[in-house]
Amino acid sequence: MEIVRVENLSKTYGAGEARVEALKQVSFSMERGEFGAVVGESGSGKSTLLNCMGGLDKADSGRVMLNGRDLFEMGEKERTIFRRQNVGFIFQSFHLIPELNVEQNIIFPLLLDYKRPDKERVEELLQVLGLENRRHHLPGQLSGGQQQRVAIGRALITRPALVLADEPTGNLDSRNSQDVLELLCQAARHYQQTVLMITHNMNLTPVADRVFQVTDGVVRELGGERS
Amino acid sequence: MRHYLDLVSLSAKEHRRQNRMTRLCIVLAVFLVTVIFGMADMEMRSQMLQAVKSDGSWHAGFVINEEQGAILAARPEVEHISPYGALNYYRKDGYQIEGEEALICGFDPELLEMFPAVELLEGELPEREQEMVVNETIRNRLGVQVGDYLVLTIPGGEKLSHKVTGIARDTALTAEKDAFGVFLSMGGFENLHGKGTEEDREEIYYVTFRSFTNIQRAIRDIQVQLGLGDDQVRQNAKVLLLLFQSRDSYLMQFYLVAVVLAVLVLAAGVLMITASMNSSIARRTEFFGLLGCLGATRGQVLRFVQREALGWCKRAIPVGIFGGIAVIWGLCAMLRALSPGLFEGLPVFGISFPAIIAGLIVGVMTVLLAAKAPAKRAAQVSPLTAVSGNGGSVQPARRAADTRIFPVDVALGIHHAFGSKRNFFLVSGSFAFSIVLFLAFSTGIDFMHHALTPLQPWAPDLCVYSEENQNLIPRELGEEVKACPGVKKVFGRGYGEITVDTEEGIKKLSLISYDKQQFDWAQDSLVKGELEKVIAGEGILLVFGEEGALAQRERVLVNQEGQLQELLVCGILEMIPYPRGAGSASDVAICSEDLFSRLTKETGYAVLDIQLDRDAGDQEVRELRRIIEESCQEGISFSDKRMGNRETKGAGYSMALFLYGFLVVIGLIAFFNIVNCVAMSVSARMKEYGAMRAIGMSTDQLIRMVLGETLTYMVFGVVFGCLGGIPLNRQLFASLVTSRWGEAWQLPAGELAIIVFIVALAVCLAVLGPARQFQRMTVVDTLGAE
Repeated sequence: MEIVRVENLSKTYGAGEARVEALKQVSFSMERGEFGAVVGESGSGKSTLLNCMGGLDKADSGRVMLNGRDLFEMGEKERTIFRRQNVGFIFQSFHLIPELNVEQNIIFPLLLDYKRPDKERVEELLQVLGLENRRHHLPGQLSGGQQQRVAIGRALITRPALVLADEPTGNLDSRNSQDVLELLCQAARHYQQTVLMITHNMNLTPVADRVFQVTDGVVRELGGERS
Repeated sequence: MRHYLDLVSLSAKEHRRQNRMTRLCIVLAVFLVTVIFGMADMEMRSQMLQAVKSDGSWHAGFVINEEQGAILAARPEVEHISPYGALNYYRKDGYQIEGEEALICGFDPELLEMFPAVELLEGELPEREQEMVVNETIRNRLGVQVGDYLVLTIPGGEKLSHKVTGIARDTALTAEKDAFGVFLSMGGFENLHGKGTEEDREEIYYVTFRSFTNIQRAIRDIQVQLGLGDDQVRQNAKVLLLLFQSRDSYLMQFYLVAVVLAVLVLAAGVLMITASMNSSIARRTEFFGLLGCLGATRGQVLRFVQREALGWCKRAIPVGIFGGIAVIWGLCAMLRALSPGLFEGLPVFGISFPAIIAGLIVGVMTVLLAAKAPAKRAAQVSPLTAVSGNGGSVQPARRAADTRIFPVDVALGIHHAFGSKRNFFLVSGSFAFSIVLFLAFSTGIDFMHHALTPLQPWAPDLCVYSEENQNLIPRELGEEVKACPGVKKVFGRGYGEITVDTEEGIKKLSLISYDKQQFDWAQDSLVKGELEKVIAGEGILLVFGEEGALAQRERVLVNQEGQLQELLVCGILEMIPYPRGAGSASDVAICSEDLFSRLTKETGYAVLDIQLDRDAGDQEVRELRRIIEESCQEGISFSDKRMGNRETKGAGYSMALFLYGFLVVIGLIAFFNIVNCVAMSVSARMKEYGAMRAIGMSTDQLIRMVLGETLTYMVFGVVFGCLGGIPLNRQLFASLVTSRWGEAWQLPAGELAIIVFIVALAVCLAVLGPARQFQRMTVVDTLGAE
C-alpha cells in the first residue's frame, strides 16, 4: 500500500549567482512498512528532501502525497495538525523540550492534540526504548543515545504513517547508533510504519529496504535489501 | 581582523536583532532615569523661578540694627546683604499720598538682586532722600509721571515733598489690594523712620549666603553672635527647600520621599537592564563557551564581554540621554507656552547635568556589571557542551513542567516563566517595579491636590467691592462692564441680612444674592434639593453644616421689617466660595436677585467680580476702572487679582505637568519594558519554538505558550508590585499628606487600576509581535537546515 508519493519535486534557494537547486524534479514513492535510507554528500539536498516530504518546507513545484493528501494543498494550520498526526520527525540534535521529562516529551505530540495518552502504549514504547527507569528524567540528565531514543519515542507515539529521520545517529557513538537503527527497523517491521532516514554512514544502509542517493538535487535509487 | 576583540563588532553584526533588543532596553532604562531626574531638576528650577519671583531669592532675614548689620556683612559666608525697611504695611498708620494710605519701603539697589519681582518699568531708583519710586497703582490712579513731585503726609501731619524718579511694576500683593506703594532709598527711609514710631516700622537685613554654605548652621551661628531670638530671624522657606537647606521637620520628610523616589527610579533602571541581559544569557553562554573552547582565557572572555557591553552603551546611552533631554525640552517649552510670564526664565534647551550623570551611571555601571554574569557562566560551561550542538538545544532544566492542570502549551509557557528563578524574579520584578514606581509617584498627585489651591472657575481677575458689604454697586454696571472689550464674564453679589423664625427662636441669616452665572456654578455644589425654584425667586438655599434647626424645614418664615413672608428652603449647598457677610449673622442663605431686592429693598451689588479674556491687558483694565469709578460712589475698592491668579495657575501648571509627566513616563516605560522583555524572551527561545513547530505545535499554540509565560510574569509582577507599592504608597502618603493635612490614606484603587491596565495592555500587545514572528517563521530556517 502506497503511503507517500513524491512527484516532480523541485526546490531552489537563493538567486543569481548564489542560486542553488536543492531538488530537481524528484519523484518516487514508498510503501507501508518500507525502510528507506537517503545518502549523499553534505549540501546535496538530503535534508531539503526530508523537510519537503514532512511539510516543514514548501517546494517550488511538484507535490508530496501522504496518505492520499497533498501536503502543499493544505493551509498552514491544517498542515501542522496533519503533520503531527501523520509524520514523526527525528533530528540529529534531538530537539527535545528541556522542560519536559522523558515521558512528557514522548507524549508531547498527543498533548498538542489535547488527547489523553494511552498508558499501555506509553509503557510499551518506554520498554521498547529501554527508558522505563528514566521516565521522570529531564533531557539534561540523559546521555546523547538516551535523548535520541526519547526523540524516537516522540516520533512514534502518534503511530504516524511516515517517520522521517535526519541523521539520527550523527551525534551518537557506534553502539547507540546501532540501537537507534534497530528501533527504526522495528518501527518499520513491527509497527508497519514507513521510515525514511538520512545517513552519512554507508554501514547503516544494508538494513534498509531501499537506498536513495542524492547528488546535486537529483535523487537516484541505488537499490536495497528488497530490490 | 587584527585582534581577537575585533570579533566583537563581527559578532554584533551577526546578532543584530538580539543586540538591538538589549540596546533598546538600555535606551529605555537610561531614558527613564534621565527623564525623571531631568524633570525633577526642571521642576525644581521652575519652582525656584516662581519662589524667587514671589518671595525673592534671599536666604534669611535678620531684624537687627545698623551696627549688627555691619557685623553680619563681615561674615565670610555672607554673599549679599541689604537692609530693607517697611512702614505702614497694614496701611492704617497715616502715611498717605493724596489722602490714600501708602506702603513705604526703603532699600538699597543691591536688594533688587534678591527681589527680582521689584521691576522698574521706567526711570531710576531713588538716590537722594527726597526721591521716590512709585508703583503702577499710584501712576494709574494719580496720573503721575517720572519727574513729578508728590507730597507724602506722615502720621504727625508733616508733609514731605518727594520727586518721582521711577515707576515700579505692581507686585501681586499691591495689585490685589490696589495699594499705593512707595520705594525710597535707605537714606530717605531712615529719615522718614526717624519721624515715625517704633511700632509701625520693620527693618530687616536680607542675606544671601555663598554656595555650599550650611545655611542652617550659619543662621544658628549668627543668632549666637548677635544674640538674636527666633522671632528676629526669617527664612525664605521655599528657596531653602529647593536648595535642600531646610531643616523643617515636614520638609525633611519631603526630602526623604524624594530620596526614596530617586532610589526607586535608579533601581528600576538597573533592574530593566539586568533583566534584559539575563534573558539573552543562554545564547551568550554558548558563544562564550565556544570562545573558551578555541583557547580564550577567562580574562580574555571577560574583556570580550566588557567590550561588547561597552559597544551597546556607546549608542544606547547617548540615545537614551538625548531622548530624555528632548522630552524635558518639550515639557519646558510647554510650560513657557502655558505661562510665559512666569516661566520665561526656564531654559528652552536646558541641560540637566544631574539627569545626564544619573543616566550615564545607571547605563554604564549596570551594563558592565550585568554583562559579567554570562561570562562567569561561560567559564563554567564545558567547551565540549558549547561545541557539541547540544548546548543550544538542551539547556538543562531543573524540574519538569506540570502538564496536569493546564494544556501543554500553556503549561510550558508557565514553566518557561518559572524556568530560571533569576530570570523570573528579574522580569516579574521589573513589571512589579513599574507598579511600585507608579504607586509611589502617584502620591505626588495627592500632594499636589492638597498643596495647590487650584484656580477655580469662579475666580475673578478683577474685583470691585464695597468695604462694608454695602450694596453700592448698581446692577446696571454689570451689563455695562460686560459690554467692554476684553471682558469674559461679570457676576455680582448683593449682601444683606434676614431674620427667620426657627424652633430655637429668631435667627439672623446673612443673605447673598446670586445671578444666573453663580447659580450655574452652584449646581455642582448642590447636596440636596433643586435650584429652579431659587432661581425663580421662590425660596433660598442654605449651606451644609449651617442649616441647623432649618435642616428639616421645607419653608421658613422671614420677618422683614415687621412683615412676615414665607419662603421655601429649596436646597443645601456643600459650600459657598465667597466671603460671608460682614454683619452679625454667621450663617448664610442664598437667593435670587429678585428675591434679594424684595427682602432687603436693595438693588445694588456689594461685590462685582470680573473675568477677563486671555488677551485682555492693562489698557482694558484701566478703561474698566475708569467706567467703574464713574458709575460708583465713594467707598468702592478695586482689586486686581490677575498677578496672583497667574502665580496660582503657573505653580499648578508646572507641578501638574511634571507630576503627571512622571506618571506618563513611568507608564510608557512599563509598557515598552514589558513589550521588550517578551520580545527578548521569545527571541532567546526561537530555536526551541522552531523545534516545537517541527514536532507539530501550531502557531496558535505557540502564541498561547508565550501568553502563558507573559501572563505568569504579569500576575506575579502585579502581586509583587502591590506588595511593595501599596505599603510604600501608604508610607509616602503619610509623609506628604497625612502629616500636613491630616487626611487619612485610602487604597489607591484608581491608580492601581490604571497601572494594572497598562501592564495588561502591554502584555496583550507584547504577544502580537511574537505572534507575527511565529507566522513568518520557517521551521527549517529556525532549526538550521542543511
